[in-house]
Amino acid sequence: MSIAVVGVNHRTAPLEVRERFAHASHEVPGALTRVLSAGAAGGVLLSTCNRTEFYLAEPRDPVSDAVWELLGERLTGERGAQRYGYMERDRDAVRHLYRVSAGLDSMVLGESQIQGQVREAWEISRGQAGPVLHRLFQSALLVGARVRSETELGKGAASVPSAAVAVASKIFGDLTGRLALILGAGDMAELAATCLVDQGARVTLVANRTYERARAIAERLDARALTLEEAWPHFADTDIALCSTSAPHAVVTWERVAPAIQSRRGRPLCILDLAVPRDVDPAVGQLENVFLYDVDDLQAVAGQAAALRRGEIPSAELIVSDEVERFWTWYGGLAVVPALKAFREQLDDVRAAEFERALRHFKHLHSEDREQLEQFSRLLLNKFLHHPTVALKQAAERGRAYALLDALRELFALESRDGS
Amino acid sequence: MLFALHLAALGLYGLSAALALAPFAGVSIPRRWTLGVATLGAVLHGVGVTQLTLVGLGPALSMLALCLMLLQIGSDLLLRAGTVALFTAPLAGGLVGLALLLGLAPGAEPSAGRNLWFILHVTLSVLGLALLALAFISAALYLWQFRELKAKRFGQVFQLFPPLERLDRLNHVALVAGFPALTIGVLLAIGYAVRYAGGMHVDPAQVVWGSFTWGVLGWTVWVRVARRWAGRRAAFASIAGFTAVVLVYVALKLAQPGTERFL
Repeated sequence: MSIAVVGVNHRTAPLEVRERFAHASHEVPGALTRVLSAGAAGGVLLSTCNRTEFYLAEPRDPVSDAVWELLGERLTGERGAQRYGYMERDRDAVRHLYRVSAGLDSMVLGESQIQGQVREAWEISRGQAGPVLHRLFQSALLVGARVRSETELGKGAASVPSAAVAVASKIFGDLTGRLALILGAGDMAELAATCLVDQGARVTLVANRTYERARAIAERLDARALTLEEAWPHFADTDIALCSTSAPHAVVTWERVAPAIQSRRGRPLCILDLAVPRDVDPAVGQLENVFLYDVDDLQAVAGQAAALRRGEIPSAELIVSDEVERFWTWYGGLAVVPALKAFREQLDDVRAAEFERALRHFKHLHSEDREQLEQFSRLLLNKFLHHPTVALKQAAERGRAYALLDALRELFALESRDGS
Repeated sequence: MLFALHLAALGLYGLSAALALAPFAGVSIPRRWTLGVATLGAVLHGVGVTQLTLVGLGPALSMLALCLMLLQIGSDLLLRAGTVALFTAPLAGGLVGLALLLGLAPGAEPSAGRNLWFILHVTLSVLGLALLALAFISAALYLWQFRELKAKRFGQVFQLFPPLERLDRLNHVALVAGFPALTIGVLLAIGYAVRYAGGMHVDPAQVVWGSFTWGVLGWTVWVRVARRWAGRRAAFASIAGFTAVVLVYVALKLAQPGTERFL
């Protein structure tokens, strides 16, 4: 019995590779069927923008090859997927999932989105997971929740988009109903806008140099599309302006927006400039009640939260270790039962065979005496097995049954009998 | 008993101030603790105030301190602006300490202190003053946070102070609630004087300061509500108004010392 994780993540593979490995929800069952057919009792596929990982119960050796083959088909060129990946087994695989669920293995330390992704992966793979992985994923979600409630690993805004939300919240408090305007159609602006929308803000306008690109994002955010030139008067009404154009120079200049801003009657305006090079002329930030922040500022906010979170890593790791031992104790108990059964059956076979052979020399015995003798042989076997059985069960309760089980299998050649 | 209750309140207000400061020293304090300590202090203080005869400077200061603490608790509960405790708790503690030093026994006209009109006059007038003080405190916090945000300093003030709009709202609410409280308080004083004290025998200094405070509070409410001042401008108006009220009080008190009356 064993558990393994085979996959790639943001530490081992660049974005362009991770993008290719990412599986949409509808692709998961097919991929799992293919991998499980190579030899595993259950599987869960966790696929996010930062990782694609197959969690496998009782995997046989060819399974990892099946995973690399499956992922390799998504790559162009001759390089295999294996060079980007890793494989962890048993306790390390359990620890890996618990660390993932707790946000300890995330690109943004302690981010909470991963917990929802772990839950989603488990739910999508439910039919193929099997009892062990069910239990593993269930406990992983509990570990994530425990780490978040007992440590400050999830506190503060540790990414640029969440820092943008944090800064806007320090100006407006509750962002519910606040109006946001997006300049540019970059991914970062869309991501930050999504974070703002999650907090209750309403993106009303998306402006871009090319109208069509603005319209594509506006449709996704239920907003109105504009060209850049049409956007300047709207600085009078909006609360938050997110700028992320690819212009090589500042497009939001004092001359363009000052008239609109001066008509705001002192209402604060938060401008979040996520573009590099910057979109907003620093002179705009000098206007009364305008709060202008660029990427460096937001990274400073994120950096502070990240530093705070890093201080929480030891406490979070302690919780993870504690829970790994708890799971392994349960899992060890599962492994002991079939091994003990096989051990007993094997010795009983030996006993029965030897008893039959012995009986050939005692043909004169009555059937009652034979039964007495057989009963004696059984009692003797039980006496011999009592201590090893108790010791194995106790070792399983302490989560230390594996070494003993390995020894048992080796010494008594149990491989074929317990199927592991 | 009166002294002991005030002393206990003083200790708890000091503790409340320390708890408000603790996060700035990196010590995280659960909100229920800060609220609990402030509430316990206010309850003990409230019991003490019910035993006071509200005549003289000491009892008036004690009443003002109680109003400040109740407003601190209200700000935390309703607007999650518990950071006002940085100012309200030490200020309330200082006022209770001063009241203990000056004495809590009634000064002149102790019989007035048992008249309902007089009690309401003192309570509402002091509440109006406390709300003006709260408006000043929220304005000061606003300007501090505003400066940090403008200067892109993301330190403890950024992390621990409430958002700008919430502080602005607190300032607005404090002023809008303070003006009617003070107005009714002044009207009750006039009513009490005419009905029970045989006419207006009021010290001119009291009339000057009372009218001035009412006028300042009225002006700040007018600029906020009628002229729609908000944010930094409104904060400056609140600070200027409160500072003027305090300076006029100090000037009048220096000109006419004594503790038998509020002025």
